[in-house]
Amino acid sequence: MTYWRLIWRNLTRRRSRFVFTLSAIAVGIASVVTLLSLGIGLEAEIRRQAEGLGAELLVTPKGWCAYEQISVLTGESLPEALAAAVVDRIRRIDGLTAVPYLTQRAVIRNQPVPLVGVLAGPMKELRGWGLARGEYRLDGRHVVVGHAVAEQFDLHVGAPLRVRGSEFTVAGVLAPVGNRDDLAVYMDLSVAQRVYRTGGKVSFVAVRVDDVRRIDEYIAKIQSAANVAVVSDKQLLRSVLAIVGSVGNALQLIAAVAVLAACFGITNTMMTAIYERRREIGVLDALGAKKSTIFFVFVGESAVYGLLGGVLGVAAGFAFSYVAAPYIGRDEFTAFLGSEQSVKVFDMGITIEALVFAVLVAVLSGLYPALRAAKLSPVEAIGYE
Amino acid sequence: MSDPILRAEGLSKVYDGGYRTVALEGVSLEIPRGSLTCIMGPSGHGKSTLLHLLGGLDRPTAGKVYLDGEDLTSLGPNRLAEVRSRRLGFVFQFFNLLPVLTALENVQTAMLLAGVPRREQADRSRALLRLVGLEEKMHARPGQLSGGQRQRVAIARALANDPDILLMDEPTGNLDTRSEEDLLAHIRAVHARGKTIVIVTHSESVAAMAERIVRIRDGRVVDGETAARRFTNGRPGR
Repeated sequence: MTYWRLIWRNLTRRRSRFVFTLSAIAVGIASVVTLLSLGIGLEAEIRRQAEGLGAELLVTPKGWCAYEQISVLTGESLPEALAAAVVDRIRRIDGLTAVPYLTQRAVIRNQPVPLVGVLAGPMKELRGWGLARGEYRLDGRHVVVGHAVAEQFDLHVGAPLRVRGSEFTVAGVLAPVGNRDDLAVYMDLSVAQRVYRTGGKVSFVAVRVDDVRRIDEYIAKIQSAANVAVVSDKQLLRSVLAIVGSVGNALQLIAAVAVLAACFGITNTMMTAIYERRREIGVLDALGAKKSTIFFVFVGESAVYGLLGGVLGVAAGFAFSYVAAPYIGRDEFTAFLGSEQSVKVFDMGITIEALVFAVLVAVLSGLYPALRAAKLSPVEAIGYE
Repeated sequence: MSDPILRAEGLSKVYDGGYRTVALEGVSLEIPRGSLTCIMGPSGHGKSTLLHLLGGLDRPTAGKVYLDGEDLTSLGPNRLAEVRSRRLGFVFQFFNLLPVLTALENVQTAMLLAGVPRREQADRSRALLRLVGLEEKMHARPGQLSGGQRQRVAIARALANDPDILLMDEPTGNLDTRSEEDLLAHIRAVHARGKTIVIVTHSESVAAMAERIVRIRDGRVVDGETAARRFTNGRPGR
């Protein structure tokens, strides 16, 4: 006989109560794990996209909000806001390479696809693209497509593509790079400006500098040349992560409420168990159980609820976040999650964190009932009908 | 009285939960080592309270209980639990077995609480269940046993840590005549092994095997007689 066996037998004596209490804690932990998993996936993906930016500075119109900054990384469409003259002034500054982007949206087979108007040469140099098939040709009749877009819509070299009434041909398919570049159609900038009638404007300008140690100097030069906002890639990453983090924190708070409700469930279950088992507690007293032993047995029961509920919750949480990520990723704000491998099917850190959390809150929930059990007078308990 | 193993001096117990009830008042008695003593008296007159105080399950309002000279009333809860675990064995009217455990596990639980190693628990528990004639039922849960069998498991459990004294509260109170006779035979066998036994009972047949009877009325000892005196008076089994 061991204490764990005694605890297990006590827990499973009322199976339905055991299952429901376990389910409550499992649901709470699953929601925490889901949000942690999605949050970590989202952060990893943001970092990956930021690394793929290939530029140290980003020039945007003044007053852009966080959503628009995130869209720079997600490749979602952005309003055309920087005039051609501004772009020219920036490009004339020594020691930097400015690459303008016009991010719009095309429609292929009734599905929206990001379309980016770029300068062919500087863009290829900035992003370090390779070709999977065909040739890298951007002009008034040709576009290139990202690898994932080609796969998704079966766009082979030479395939026709209609954008806002203009006919184009797919000249090449880019080699996969593992970020949002795989998910867009690329068009010559001036052609895109004409097709989308932006009047020569672009959405933003990515800037690569020759000497990163002089980055503050470049920022000052750009700002003196044009009335624009300049953020470094690190600032952009920080601000995007801060926004995503605060949203994640708010969601985790909601998940914590679910866990809190489960804790009350455990407390309630344990209190009920104590009333039902008063006589047994008295018997344990008579057999020589110390108060601390009775306390340990009841806290142990709560801890087992936490551990088992935690294990089930972790499994359900990872499964749900993995399955749900592509659906959640349909929203522009969380579009990162739609890309492959952004959400892990298992993460040891989250698992340990969730299990420790589950056991801890379960133990805390069981403290009061366990104290009540330990304080019972043996005579009162044995005499209880 | 020679060599008392258990001694009570001026024991009083007053319950005061809004309404003051004197359960015991100035009870003094000695339980000789190796004796079989019955405590008898009408219901509600303090028999079980006395047994609980003698066994350290409850604390007296006044008075002392000595077990081999050690004052149980002055012990801390942990030491008292240790004494209950190693030196005393309890048997109750309603069996009070843990329903989720088998007969074997019920006996083992008493050993677990005394810190007996797992392997030793199993061997000793089997031997004890054999002693009370339940080796065939050791894997049965209390719900699968008859009243008499449950009480025999309770006796085996009380003997788990080889206690000096067995304290029994109406052990035959819930048994039919046949089960009662069977149980008494087992109690006699345990007594024959040298155990001191104190039984609270209403049953004359239980009292008949006692060497000494203590009578309680209104919380006081009104009579303490030996078997020799009873038989001399021609009132066996009173």
